[in-house]
Amino acid sequence: MCSGLFACNSENKASLSANSIIYCSEGAPETFNPQLVTSGVTIDATSKQLYNQLITFNAKNNSISPSLAKSWHVTRDNKKITFYLRKNVNFHQTDFFIPTRALNADDVLFSFNRILDKEHLFHEVSGGRYPFFQSVGFSDLIQSVERINDYTIRFTLNRADSSFLANLASDFSVILSQEYAEQLVKQNQMENIDFQPIGTGPFKLKEYRAGSFIRYNPHEQYWGDNTTLKQLVFDITPSNTGRLTKLLAGECDIVAYPIAHETISKNPKLTLNDVTAFNIGYLGFNTAKFPFDNKVVRKAVAHAIDRKAILDTVYFGDAKAEAATTILPPSSWAYDKTIPVIDYSIDKAKQLLGKAGLSDGFTIDLWAMPVQRAYNPDAVTMAKLIQADLKKIGITVNIISLNWQEFLRRLALGEHHAVLLGWSADHPDPDNFFTPLLSCASAETGNNRTFWCDKSFDDIIYRSLLTTDIKERKDLYHQALHIAAEELPLLPIAHSKRFQARSIKIKGPLLNAFGGIDFNGVSKN
Amino acid sequence: MARDNIYQEEEFPSPLMQLWFHFRQSPVVKIGFGCFLFLCFLAIFSSLISPYSPVENHLDSLLLPPAWDDEGNVSYLLGTDNLGRDMLSRLIHGTTLTFGLSFIVVLISLVIGVVIGSLSALTKGVKSSFLNHFLDVILSIPSLLLAIVIVAILGPGLSNTLWAIVMVLIPQFIHITRNAVEEEFNKDYVLASRLDGANSLRILHYSIFPNIIEKLISQATLAQSAAILDIATLGFLGLGAPIPMPEWGAMLANGIDLFYIAPWTVYLPGLAILFSVVATNLVGEGMRHALKARKES
Amino acid sequence: MLIFTLRRLNLFLFTMLLLSILSFSLSFLFPGEQIINISGQINTNPEGIELVALEYGKHESILSQYWNYLNHLFNGDWGISMTSQLPISNEILSHLPATMELTITALFIAMVVGIPIGFIAAINHRKKTDDLILSLAMIGYSIPIFWLGLLTILIFSIQLGWLPSAGQISLLYEIKQVTGIQFIDILLSDSPYKWQAFQDASSHIILPACVVALAPATIFVRLARTSMLNVLETHYIKAAMAKGLTFQQIIYRHAIRNAMVNVIRDVGLQFANLVTLAMVTEVIFSWPGIGRWLIESIYQRDYTAIQGGLLALSSFIFLVHIFTDFIYATLNPLARETHRGSR
Repeated sequence: MCSGLFACNSENKASLSANSIIYCSEGAPETFNPQLVTSGVTIDATSKQLYNQLITFNAKNNSISPSLAKSWHVTRDNKKITFYLRKNVNFHQTDFFIPTRALNADDVLFSFNRILDKEHLFHEVSGGRYPFFQSVGFSDLIQSVERINDYTIRFTLNRADSSFLANLASDFSVILSQEYAEQLVKQNQMENIDFQPIGTGPFKLKEYRAGSFIRYNPHEQYWGDNTTLKQLVFDITPSNTGRLTKLLAGECDIVAYPIAHETISKNPKLTLNDVTAFNIGYLGFNTAKFPFDNKVVRKAVAHAIDRKAILDTVYFGDAKAEAATTILPPSSWAYDKTIPVIDYSIDKAKQLLGKAGLSDGFTIDLWAMPVQRAYNPDAVTMAKLIQADLKKIGITVNIISLNWQEFLRRLALGEHHAVLLGWSADHPDPDNFFTPLLSCASAETGNNRTFWCDKSFDDIIYRSLLTTDIKERKDLYHQALHIAAEELPLLPIAHSKRFQARSIKIKGPLLNAFGGIDFNGVSKN
Repeated sequence: MARDNIYQEEEFPSPLMQLWFHFRQSPVVKIGFGCFLFLCFLAIFSSLISPYSPVENHLDSLLLPPAWDDEGNVSYLLGTDNLGRDMLSRLIHGTTLTFGLSFIVVLISLVIGVVIGSLSALTKGVKSSFLNHFLDVILSIPSLLLAIVIVAILGPGLSNTLWAIVMVLIPQFIHITRNAVEEEFNKDYVLASRLDGANSLRILHYSIFPNIIEKLISQATLAQSAAILDIATLGFLGLGAPIPMPEWGAMLANGIDLFYIAPWTVYLPGLAILFSVVATNLVGEGMRHALKARKES
Repeated sequence: MLIFTLRRLNLFLFTMLLLSILSFSLSFLFPGEQIINISGQINTNPEGIELVALEYGKHESILSQYWNYLNHLFNGDWGISMTSQLPISNEILSHLPATMELTITALFIAMVVGIPIGFIAAINHRKKTDDLILSLAMIGYSIPIFWLGLLTILIFSIQLGWLPSAGQISLLYEIKQVTGIQFIDILLSDSPYKWQAFQDASSHIILPACVVALAPATIFVRLARTSMLNVLETHYIKAAMAKGLTFQQIIYRHAIRNAMVNVIRDVGLQFANLVTLAMVTEVIFSWPGIGRWLIESIYQRDYTAIQGGLLALSSFIFLVHIFTDFIYATLNPLARETHRGSR
């Protein structure tokens, strides 16, 4: 029967691995509830796997399509939105929770009131911070959420907001189980709502070993198309080469953020997928403290950095990324090509530094993210290049890189002078770039890493949300882009593609232009 | 009358000359010694020899393979890394760091270890037993763990790595010195000196040291090869030389991410480390052989 | 034998004491506040810190602080990790067994491969075989282990595809972690794929164990060779030869047993070295052991974890050392006598 150690191994493992996928991910999730984060690592692991939203984006044309809500109605003044929920949607059944009822309006109420109502029982659980919702000003926008009947929910807004539906369709607006929450209150384990998650999504959490792996089992009573997979495992492998090695050795079926694209393309057993992503990689200046509280210094540094070199070195050339002039990618309808480009000029940099009275130079801490993301595959190397560039104008750069959770935590506290970071859009509405990155509200929650708060800028992007007229919004956004280019709270570096490598046995779409990955349609033969 | 020498004088070469004579016997050892000297030369004159600066980025020549490959370029003999830095220059400068530092590290720990070891050999009783047990404890802590702890206390950086490895090597020298000195103390010639009235320090200096120096040198070469590997390992783990410095272990760590597109960035530093450790070990082997041969003859 | 045991016990207790003093003093030597270093509570407000400080007797003398620290250790409270905020004792219990698995396997491989080769070299002294073995041993001893690990992954995992490149076992198998030692856990689990899981775990351990075992194996080659050479020079072997025993009989009946004894003596000393190699190997092969955890901890500057890990790992090494001492003493009655000075 089994002859020899290795032959037997691969034969029988074949049955186990026939319908199981191992996905090598680049980092460990901070929590299992996307409401609490903006980090892509957590979104990839949780949003589309464990949960559903009321509405979602249709992958083909980016329009809004039904999910947990089978239809919705918006009043003419754009201030009241009513959702009609789908019936017979079941929550996960696990060894720590057995649902006794299907999804109804109470669950939707619970999920949103937790964020909006400061007195809510679960508001402060796990920290009380909902960065995405805070940065789009959710609590100010929504006047109330009412339960009309078991399967109808109405949102009443304080003002019209053209990005409201897009925000509700994003990966952050997931629906939790109120019944589970009640059980946790009785058991006095309220944090488990975020660490031992229950949702309606196509997968349920079987096991999580911190920093090591996540094991998902299929949700047998899923309301949509059941997945064909028997098991989904996220193998957390922060090392780039480690992920590629596992892919080449057959220990991983799919790999996030692959390197060495030629090696993958040449291998007949592997394929390389890519998608044009809505993202921006940038160098953010902490405008709250010296030296970058001075606009002239920011401009000086901007002139001193050779962005083309960075593009060639870190992004390996034009095929993989475009040079960014503003935070919006050129494919966005609100893009403005008249924004002046900051040219690479050491002389201008020195001149500006002199004007600011800092010709003797100074020392700064440059924080570089430790994980790879589409918008920045190698922040540490980028930091080294910037270090060498700034040395020429007398600025000494200390490069700081910590583990991802610690990094984000301390960044929010403003410990940095400058940071190499980025942003991947959650939905195609341009507001998704402006508000979370540069608004005053976002500066308070710490998501705006530049802590830049400009009243006229904020005013413009706010006004743009009040109207649904595309032309009007476009003009307003152009004005906002000009202000950002003048004040330069951040230096845009590149927009890039998001890549993924997989074994040819894997079928089905996985990558989206924005948002997290989705394993529901993925199968293995 | 002229004092002609009629008798053939027997020349008794000094112990060191005898050592050198036996050392030279084996051709392999001679090669090893030659390589060792070559490395010392590179370490001292690195700035003069290397064609480029080791930290200069040549952004138009990224990831060039070594010159013998089709896409290589003769001006960058061993290729470049992902920031365009010349591999050959980095390897040469790395000799100063990895190899040169190991030499310094061994020297420092030799001196300190010998001093403490001989002083402790002079003490007896509880103090001696305590020191013995203390040494046992230190020797049972893995050297990397000890280095990690010391780097954690002092912080990362080149000089702190140096001190960490010095502190890891000192116990070995103390151990060897102590045992050797105690062994010699029991011998007759020491007894004779004592009877003459010499105090312990004098005995140590004149009688014992010359006789144990060979054991010390033998241990020193072993320690140097261990030190090269330790420095490279700490550099590989990112706990050693700061980022742009071309220490071989750090270069290797930098090359791992490029392994599939530029494997020479991993192979070359590894070969450099292997080469220097083998050279050091050959010299050590030769010395031990020569010592044994001299003792036997 | 009894006296020997008592002396060893005495040594063990003394070593533990010394290690705990070392670990305790680290909290003062590390940068940052001492009370945070020793307990790991980075997120507590000042009142919370005061409570912890009282627990550790901060305001009393150094001796009573040390006594409090020892109490905490014995009660299983080794502090919490600064990065993960989980109890250090849990982290150690989940990571140490994997390292034990790796190092013991590597030690076994090193002995089984190194000692016979050393004997062969000694028997063929001054011939080509001896030189060849010594040269190979020297190269094996000189290879930097992280480079070796990468090369073996390249050859065996990617080009030949024989062995996996990372981890303890394929993630497809759901094996509950009971002891942390994968093989025991597989036997204890109720998975339907037990046999396959066992094979999978074996194929995962081969590469890292062999990489760790290389340098110690070369040292065993030398030790065995020296030991055997010494044995072959002794009078009783010469007597046996004079008596007319065949070479084979001499080797198998007398020489090996006596040479072996001397090698065992040094096994304990080599173990610390082996663990160092294992720590680096764990990083390369993503082996979930305490070495990789400690190296992660120093990147995160998690001082509490470093303290706890140091204590646990050194204790483990010392236990192995004492165990081999016992085996040596059992085999060699001469060693049981008291003797001062060098070992």
